[in-house]
Amino acid sequence: MAQSRTRLLAVLLPLSLLLLAGFVVPIVIVAFYSFIPPRSFEFSSDLTLQNYASAIGDGYWRPLLWSAIGALLTTIICLLLAWPTAKALDRFAGRWAQIATLLIALPIFISESVRLIGLSLFLMPGGGILAGSLDALFGVSIGTILNTHLAALLGLVYVHFPFVLFPLLLGFSLVPREQIEAGRDLGAGRWQLFREIELPLTAPGAAVGALFCFVLSLGANAEMTILGGQVVTVITRAIEQRFSYAQDWPLGAALTMLVIAVTAIVVFPVLKRIDMERLLKR
Amino acid sequence: MTFDSRLDALARKNPVRTQGMNRRQFLAAAAAAATAACSPGEDKAREIALLTWDAYADPRLLNLWRQQTGGSIRYEIHVSDPTSVNRLRAGETAVWDFVNLNNPWARKQLWPAGLIRDLPRERFEPLYAEMFEKFAPPYHWAMSEDGEHLLGVVQRFETFDFVVNSDVISPALAKDEGWDIFNNPDFKDRYGILAYEDWNVMDICMGAGIHPFRDKSEDDYAAFERTARQWIQNAKLITTDFAQLNLAIINGEIDAYFTGGTYSISSARLEGISNLYAVTPNSGPADGKGGINWIELNSAVANPNPADETLDFLEWITKPEPAYIIANGNGNLQPVSQMSQPEVLSRFTPEQLDALQWDEFQERIANAVEYDIVPGYDRLYDIYSAAIRERS
Repeated sequence: MAQSRTRLLAVLLPLSLLLLAGFVVPIVIVAFYSFIPPRSFEFSSDLTLQNYASAIGDGYWRPLLWSAIGALLTTIICLLLAWPTAKALDRFAGRWAQIATLLIALPIFISESVRLIGLSLFLMPGGGILAGSLDALFGVSIGTILNTHLAALLGLVYVHFPFVLFPLLLGFSLVPREQIEAGRDLGAGRWQLFREIELPLTAPGAAVGALFCFVLSLGANAEMTILGGQVVTVITRAIEQRFSYAQDWPLGAALTMLVIAVTAIVVFPVLKRIDMERLLKR
Repeated sequence: MTFDSRLDALARKNPVRTQGMNRRQFLAAAAAAATAACSPGEDKAREIALLTWDAYADPRLLNLWRQQTGGSIRYEIHVSDPTSVNRLRAGETAVWDFVNLNNPWARKQLWPAGLIRDLPRERFEPLYAEMFEKFAPPYHWAMSEDGEHLLGVVQRFETFDFVVNSDVISPALAKDEGWDIFNNPDFKDRYGILAYEDWNVMDICMGAGIHPFRDKSEDDYAAFERTARQWIQNAKLITTDFAQLNLAIINGEIDAYFTGGTYSISSARLEGISNLYAVTPNSGPADGKGGINWIELNSAVANPNPADETLDFLEWITKPEPAYIIANGNGNLQPVSQMSQPEVLSRFTPEQLDALQWDEFQERIANAVEYDIVPGYDRLYDIYSAAIRERS
């Protein structure tokens, strides 16, 4: 028993060290920076809560709210789109399903910025791919959604959809076919099958996908910059501004800690409810 | 026998006659090679690391340096001036040898913080005599505040104000109207903002009738806030990507953007899109001037393990061939201080000079004040960033 515990510790040691150096230490440093006087760079014992007062009182709630709304809408839309897609891919598992899965997965291997710039070229008015093609082929002139909230949301969904789909696919693979068929034989309708069998069994996968999507969308900035024309400022952009052009690391650090706190408030209760062991053992 | 002479001896042997090396010769050559690889090597140049804008990362420049000196270069391109200053502050002086930033950073931030080292004046000041007259030594922005230390070598410089679609807005009108173009409420949703934010702050000062580089009164801050809110709220799009703004002009989404200049449009103009037009206002609130002139200063980072090659590189980039490559580095045309020399200027094609709007270059520089640290910047930037956050 003691030997296997030592072996386990030895296996976990490299990862623990990596997490300590790459995750815990930077967060501790950022946390410390958030308490030093505004617009200073030196570690000092002169600690203050002023940065948190500015983070809460100087209108930063607005970017945080925009990020949270964007993340929430993206998560809901991705779940609504991913559900039927995952169900279809699971039910019709075969060559075509594999090709479809591959096509959905492939864009992940291309830089996010490149994909978003591609989408902006597609949406551009005048000579853009969509507007230009419609004009050339059918003589139809259209406007554009580029540089609007909607374009940014489209980008968020486009980028984060696979992060919801694949955990959900894993969730669907947990649903035994026999159970569905038995439910159907016993006279259950579609809604009842969904509510009584599919939803509870796929919930861990959906929750993991939703968490991925929410957390990544909360920290997203490129979609609002490249497609949204920065029609609003998201929290990541506000943090970036403090660290760069404002040369105000302490306020940037305080904002970062707030975002980490918001993320933790969302993530931990959901994680507590997910039976990861069951999901992984599958 | 040294490694070089052994290689030479091997190379001179006729392989057909001698049928190659014997085992002893092979082992001796291999040992010599291993020794040469492990020893410090007196004539082996140290690789230098550039934290730079993209012109200095042009492959032609790096190859030329390699051919002429045997040295190699690695580089990383800036995200923004302040981001790179942050990196040096955070301890990356040990990583980099060379940094090039806009003029005030070296004098007012990097040198006082000990992040760059000074250059030997007797070696580098003669280079200033070969530049345009405005850079005659001791050139203000190349010197430390006390006037004792030379902080770098000036090379790329230009104005950076705004860009119009000359098919829609006549350049002459834009120059006369100056920053008031963006004060016109009818211009709502017809312009964009290139979010080089320190520049945006200076431009908004100009639009509010404030000298950006002088101390501000409470009235000035109030005027700045009004202008910032209006300009930011009325902008069609805000982005850090000037290609996106150029495309928006080409597609008719907008007719103008600030901040902009030949830096953001010269490569597109070289492709034939000549209706992208850089404008420096004829007049403005900065001592009667409305434009802002940036000057890049190339400096040696205070690397704890300094390389002599860094100084060699700083001198080498001012020679005609490297200077020409830098002026059109990575396809982005920008004037360099060495264009005062006919030997450098004659290398430019008429198309390249047209892309640079070279016929108006002296006029632009004359109508601009030199980029400087903005007094009250922190407060102005906080107003600016609050206006950005309120945009909806």
